[in-house]
Amino acid sequence: MSGAAGESAPSYEAAAARVEEIIRRLDSGEASLEETLALVGEGKALIELCAGQLAAVGSALEELRLDELVARLEAEAGS
Amino acid sequence: MSHLHADPAASGAAPGAAPRAPAAGIPGSSLPGPFPVGHYAGALRTKLRSFARVQLLGELINLRVSRARVYFELRDADGAIPCAAWRADWEEITARAGGAPREGMQVVVAGGCGYYAGSATSSPGFSFDVLDLRLAGAGDLLARIERLRKQLHAEGLLDTQRRLALPALPRTIGVVTGEGGKARHDVLAALQRRGWAGRLVWAFAPVQDRHAAPAITRALGELASVAAVDVAIVARGGGSLVDLLCFCDETLCRTVALLSVPVIASVGHHTDRTLLDDVAAVSCSTPTHAADAAIRVDCVRARREQAQAAARLREHGRRAVLSRARTLVSLSRAPAAHLERQRTRLHQQLREIRASSRRRAEAEQRVTQRRAVVLERKAAAELRECRERRPRELERLSLALAAHDPQRTLERGYVLARSPQGAPLTTAVQASAAGELKLRFADGELDAQVRRR
Repeated sequence: MSGAAGESAPSYEAAAARVEEIIRRLDSGEASLEETLALVGEGKALIELCAGQLAAVGSALEELRLDELVARLEAEAGS
Repeated sequence: MSHLHADPAASGAAPGAAPRAPAAGIPGSSLPGPFPVGHYAGALRTKLRSFARVQLLGELINLRVSRARVYFELRDADGAIPCAAWRADWEEITARAGGAPREGMQVVVAGGCGYYAGSATSSPGFSFDVLDLRLAGAGDLLARIERLRKQLHAEGLLDTQRRLALPALPRTIGVVTGEGGKARHDVLAALQRRGWAGRLVWAFAPVQDRHAAPAITRALGELASVAAVDVAIVARGGGSLVDLLCFCDETLCRTVALLSVPVIASVGHHTDRTLLDDVAAVSCSTPTHAADAAIRVDCVRARREQAQAAARLREHGRRAVLSRARTLVSLSRAPAAHLERQRTRLHQQLREIRASSRRRAEAEQRVTQRRAVVLERKAAAELRECRERRPRELERLSLALAAHDPQRTLERGYVLARSPQGAPLTTAVQASAAGELKLRFADGELDAQVRRR
């Protein structure tokens, strides 16, 4: 389940680093129009990916004991 | 100690020393001597070395390492002994002991008394010459831990956890800690501070004593067996090394080394590393750090940064297109603007040409008018001349002509002879041939007849 986030997709950190790199490149003002549009598109996709990974963690911190987790997982597996 | 001083002097040293420079003793003293001090020192060394070799137990303090020798003291509540070893020997001794002892550590040393006799230029000194050493108490534990660490290292078990990929954003974190400990609170607080919104699974276990190790091992094994758990933290507050012994348990360390889930150790000890610290994927000094290591992404900041990055990207995209579109528009406008400029210029030139030609025509006209005036004047002058000069001329000419008029000649007495047909007869032959003549006089004409030829 946790590994399903994507074997080919970049890790959160790699994606975030790439976004930083893209913004630096764009800030430099050296990118051509074509490159700018490509970079903006790539950056948006990466941010969505990062946001997705953040969202996938959950919506609120949930505390439970190991036995509770095991019970829940077994219930899920049984149903 | 008093008998030590007396003994060598009285028995062995005195007779040999006697022959040399017999100096006077203290008057009235019944003691033997005086003996040369170096001789006595040598005898003392021999006597001290003859003492049985023993093992001593005490606290090691004041460890000093010089170029050739290592010095320290061994103390307990009742006394102390200065100890020394050759530097080269010391390194072998400590290697055998499983590590160099540190200040305050309980050690057992083996060796015997020694005495450096000194010389004219160096001070003498007593020391217990150390030939071997063992770390006792906590020191002993450290030595055992060190041996186990080497063993695990040799088996490659210190690296297996470090090779596991630590997810930047785990969804489920398992935590092994004491149920009522401060570490539990610290981990939770740190996770919340970083805005992490995942599932936190507690696997409570005693984390204090020697008996804790099996419980911790079991808890970690169970956490790791739940596929949902992405990373496991073992956390507890600080404590003495003895308190932390459970984290040096061989079974625990071997179990952790073979887990497929990365383990973050934070057993809170700065000076002594536990074996778990060496085996775990990440070792932290506090539970708070452990939580930070588990969630490498500060979710609160990450969300903010994502929003900022997205805004900047949008802005870049918008600006890139907009500014270039503006450029394009201005470029596309350029030919039209150029044409317009050219047209305007042509119009201007045309107007200028017209104006100029008008000016020129006007100028021409003025010139023509001037010329006409001149011509008129000339014509008038000419007319005047015709009217005035020509009659005079005519008169002069007519007078000149009149001068040549035959009438004038006739008036002067000449006669013009002509044939009856009117042809002038200028010779006698012509007149004779004609026979009849018409003679013209100034006042009239007469017919005449030639009589003789």
